[in-house]
Amino acid sequence: MTMIPLNILPIVRKEFRQIKRDKRILSVLLFVPALMLLMFGYALNFDVKHTSMAVYDEDRTSVSRKFIEQFFISEYFNKVQTLNSKAEINGLLDGEHARVVLVVPSTFTKDIQRGGAASIQVIVDGANSNAAATVLGYINAIVQQYSVKVMTESFIRMGRQTMTMPIDFQPRVWYNPELESAKFLVPGLIAFILMVTAVISTALAIVRERELGTMEQLMVSPIRPLELILGKTIPYTIISLFATVAILFLGYLLFDVSIKGSILLLSLVTFVFLVGSLGMGLLISTLVETQQLAFMIAVFVSMLPTFILSGFVFPIRNMPYIIQVITYVLPARYFLVVLRAIILKGAGLSAFWDQALILVIYAVIMIGISSLRMRKILA
Amino acid sequence: MWLGHKRQIAAGAPIDSDYAVVAEGLTKKFGKFVAVDHISFKVKRGDIFGFLGPNGAGKSTTIRMLCGLFSPTEGSARVGGFDIATQPDEIKSRIGYMSQRFSLYEDLTVEQNINFYGGIYGLEGSRLEERKRWAIGMAGLTGKESMLAHALSGGWRQRLALGCAILHEPPILFLDEPTGGVDPVSRRKFWDLIYDLSHRGVTVFVTTHYMDEAEHCNTIGLIYNGRLIALGSPTELKHSLDRYSVFEVQCTHPIDAMEMLQTQEWTTETSIFGSAFHISTLNLPDGEKIIQKLLKKEKIAVSRIEKIIPSLEDVFIHRIAEEDSRHTGVLH
Amino acid sequence: MRNILHIIRKEFLQLRQDRKMFGISFIAPVLQLIILGYAATFDVSHIPTVVCDFDNSPSSRELLRSFTSTGYFTIVGYFDKTSELDHQLDDGHASIAIVIPRGFEKKIGAGQSAPLQVLADGTETSTAGIGLSYASIIVSQYSQNILLESMVKRGSATLPARVSAEFRVWYNPELKSRNFMVPGVLGLLLMVMTMLLTSLAIVKEKELGTLEQLVVTPIKPYQLIIGKLAPFFMIGVIDVMLVVFFASLIFSLPVKGGVLLLLLLSLIFLMTTLGLGLFISTISRTQQQAMMTAIFFFMLPMMFFAGFVFPIENMPTIIQYVSYIIPLRYYFIIVRGLFLKGVGLNILWPQATALLIFGSIILSMSVMRFQKRLG
Repeated sequence: MTMIPLNILPIVRKEFRQIKRDKRILSVLLFVPALMLLMFGYALNFDVKHTSMAVYDEDRTSVSRKFIEQFFISEYFNKVQTLNSKAEINGLLDGEHARVVLVVPSTFTKDIQRGGAASIQVIVDGANSNAAATVLGYINAIVQQYSVKVMTESFIRMGRQTMTMPIDFQPRVWYNPELESAKFLVPGLIAFILMVTAVISTALAIVRERELGTMEQLMVSPIRPLELILGKTIPYTIISLFATVAILFLGYLLFDVSIKGSILLLSLVTFVFLVGSLGMGLLISTLVETQQLAFMIAVFVSMLPTFILSGFVFPIRNMPYIIQVITYVLPARYFLVVLRAIILKGAGLSAFWDQALILVIYAVIMIGISSLRMRKILA
Repeated sequence: MWLGHKRQIAAGAPIDSDYAVVAEGLTKKFGKFVAVDHISFKVKRGDIFGFLGPNGAGKSTTIRMLCGLFSPTEGSARVGGFDIATQPDEIKSRIGYMSQRFSLYEDLTVEQNINFYGGIYGLEGSRLEERKRWAIGMAGLTGKESMLAHALSGGWRQRLALGCAILHEPPILFLDEPTGGVDPVSRRKFWDLIYDLSHRGVTVFVTTHYMDEAEHCNTIGLIYNGRLIALGSPTELKHSLDRYSVFEVQCTHPIDAMEMLQTQEWTTETSIFGSAFHISTLNLPDGEKIIQKLLKKEKIAVSRIEKIIPSLEDVFIHRIAEEDSRHTGVLH
Repeated sequence: MRNILHIIRKEFLQLRQDRKMFGISFIAPVLQLIILGYAATFDVSHIPTVVCDFDNSPSSRELLRSFTSTGYFTIVGYFDKTSELDHQLDDGHASIAIVIPRGFEKKIGAGQSAPLQVLADGTETSTAGIGLSYASIIVSQYSQNILLESMVKRGSATLPARVSAEFRVWYNPELKSRNFMVPGVLGLLLMVMTMLLTSLAIVKEKELGTLEQLVVTPIKPYQLIIGKLAPFFMIGVIDVMLVVFFASLIFSLPVKGGVLLLLLLSLIFLMTTLGLGLFISTISRTQQQAMMTAIFFFMLPMMFFAGFVFPIENMPTIIQYVSYIIPLRYYFIIVRGLFLKGVGLNILWPQATALLIFGSIILSMSVMRFQKRLG
């Protein structure tokens, strides 16, 4: 085959024109990503705060009341009800009116005053285990704190000096000292939004022409498969890059997610990722004959898996081994690692060159297979 | 006897019982764009009415209004005696419609398509079977019942679509460019079918841009830029050009000849006609000799020149030119 | 009425033609359920931990044992330089690092306070948060034990007062997040599947031109709509049953509240998703538009705001109000209630009613939008 330079300009122009004509689609591609970051960034976090707690105080002394107050000083718990009998507990938890019930037994104050071990009962709605585990941790911390206080007072009464806790626990958190889940979520959100937008935009690109019959016209033209694929990818890449800039800017503006590492590196990797994901969308488009089917496959391949399997929300490390293996197939997984590395840790290429390489291979494979499929279709 | 037709006559006394379709000032605007501009006409029962015009003139829009697919912006129309704006449902069970684009289900077989539409129009049991066999036979699709509509070629598709449109034997039939992209033999067959239906008392409303098909119609409406610029039988329309003389000229350089003749003040229209051209002039006695002499001066040899009865195409071109000049104020 | 059956028959014939579609409608949900059900877990255990034990004493070793014996921490490496720990956290090989300084045991023995550093990789907030939380529990327990032991050793007759908490976990005693997530995944899958199918349902005919032929017939709008939705209803129901079957089989998650009730309430939920899909279909000109609208304006917000992973209580108040009009929110409560808590209609009736109201409204809106006209 003679090395005629690739003639992709006409296709690029046509795609741009078509995109421009459909205002809804254009706005989706440009604005919706940033909009989603806005909405989700503000709304989503794992911080377990304002958990609804109900209290059943069998003791009803000033001591027990002071103790119970400890739980509501901070914003971790909201008191939603004071119960009068144990029987009310069932209905409360069943109907999700409260997530935790604190039961202070009648012997509470007595036990403390005579220097014994007082114990309270905590009933937790375990349905959301993540929240439940965190809540347990909070409650335990509060109880521990109170216990230390009680112990100290007890010591003093016994005539001893103030006691020192044997271990001075010094926890430190790296990269995200406040443990703001936003810092964790925002890179994931960016990866998720970009992946979904990219795959979905191009998923119908080719099958649509087949379904509507305009493919015939292309088949008669001298266009080459690779030209068609690249021609369709480029407009969407450009638009998506704009969207990415918007997203990152918004992330910095609203969520203080400043890019610690190299912006150039970030753009390059994002570009590669976009090309790969757009290519995946195109590939789907070449495999089916109806838009309906393309839609379905695109959603099942991009939306749910990226949401759940990419490490966006659920740490991959916690997943069963087989599932972890499956996640190796998801480009978003690698992109997320790179994103977090650059944005949160300020790491350089040496830290994630292997992930970046995989993304490049992925892009090449997607574009390559799409072109092959396209050759079959145009032939 | 056409059963549906009989039923319609019996049911109540529809208004305009002589006319199947009556349009009065029918107008359709899409925003500022006027697609159909105050069209009025009447179609006699049993007639074949042809709506002729170039692409984008407003033919499809008009037909869609009459079928209840679009609601008119202004004006009104009655189909089968029922108002298109207020009684679309009554109209729909009494008409058949064939759209410009193939709109049956490509992923169903011939038979499945017929079963479906038959069912929707209320045909069942032996009646459905009878009509199904008729439609398949009429369309020439015997033996192809289990073929996917997708796999049919243009001609078969149109016939299948026609078959589905008249399964329920409607008294009024709307056909929007039914022979678009179909080979001449199939076209002939198609029009044989239409004649047959017309003989049975079905009113057929056809849009087309094929001039020769227009000759088959009882009445023709010429539509251009949304306006009805001529209305009448083919003969009437041709005679409307009586005050002009139309000549057909075969010569060596037709384009140059046309350009040259355009400058004459008695020329009204020239148009290419195959390898020859037509020129219509204000009444010009001995026109043949005059034209031949003029062309000879320009060194253009004329091999044949004769006065002809204007064709519908001539009429059409005339009317369009008149319409254009009326709008631009340019006379030539 | 017959017309509805005609439409249903046509839809099924078309579906049968498209073998791939058929397969995907049933296989995809099950496949997704299995993969996602296994994957969607927050259970934090065996957190990879790295240690710098500069003391290397019986006490320090005992402390470390108290960490690992809980099963929450797994020590993956011992290092003798804290910079090494930094690397490990950086590269993501470990999430927690423990530094026990020299003199740990001596200080404790002398009744002084011995510092203990625990570092967490804050990029994975849930792991870090829960990890530190567990760590603090373990350390305070250890601390308290040392205190009490030392007092017993010194021969005190009385021990100081102390307070502890006894925890009971309801519905999910092993705190397996799977039990919470799998019903959620069911809701998500159902929503995606059915909305996907219906949002293209009418636009497809619009785009291909077959709608025109249909609109010209005497068929009534409601007949067309019911006819088009019915097959998707059936697919949705089959999907629910498939998912329930596999959920109980593979995840040992039986429906405590009864499968029948689940089916009934799922049907009501389907009304809302099908209605939404249909509505999208009526406001879009092309299938591409319908798809983008469905995903970006409906599905994604529903995924994020309905309470699947992210608790609604944490969201800004405005968004909490918005979540009230998201049908998936109610379905999550229903499905979790039925799977985990075994509650009945007496508890779930508000959710069921909300879904019924929503479904009726959206369906009527769609029927109204779908006048039998093209323009």
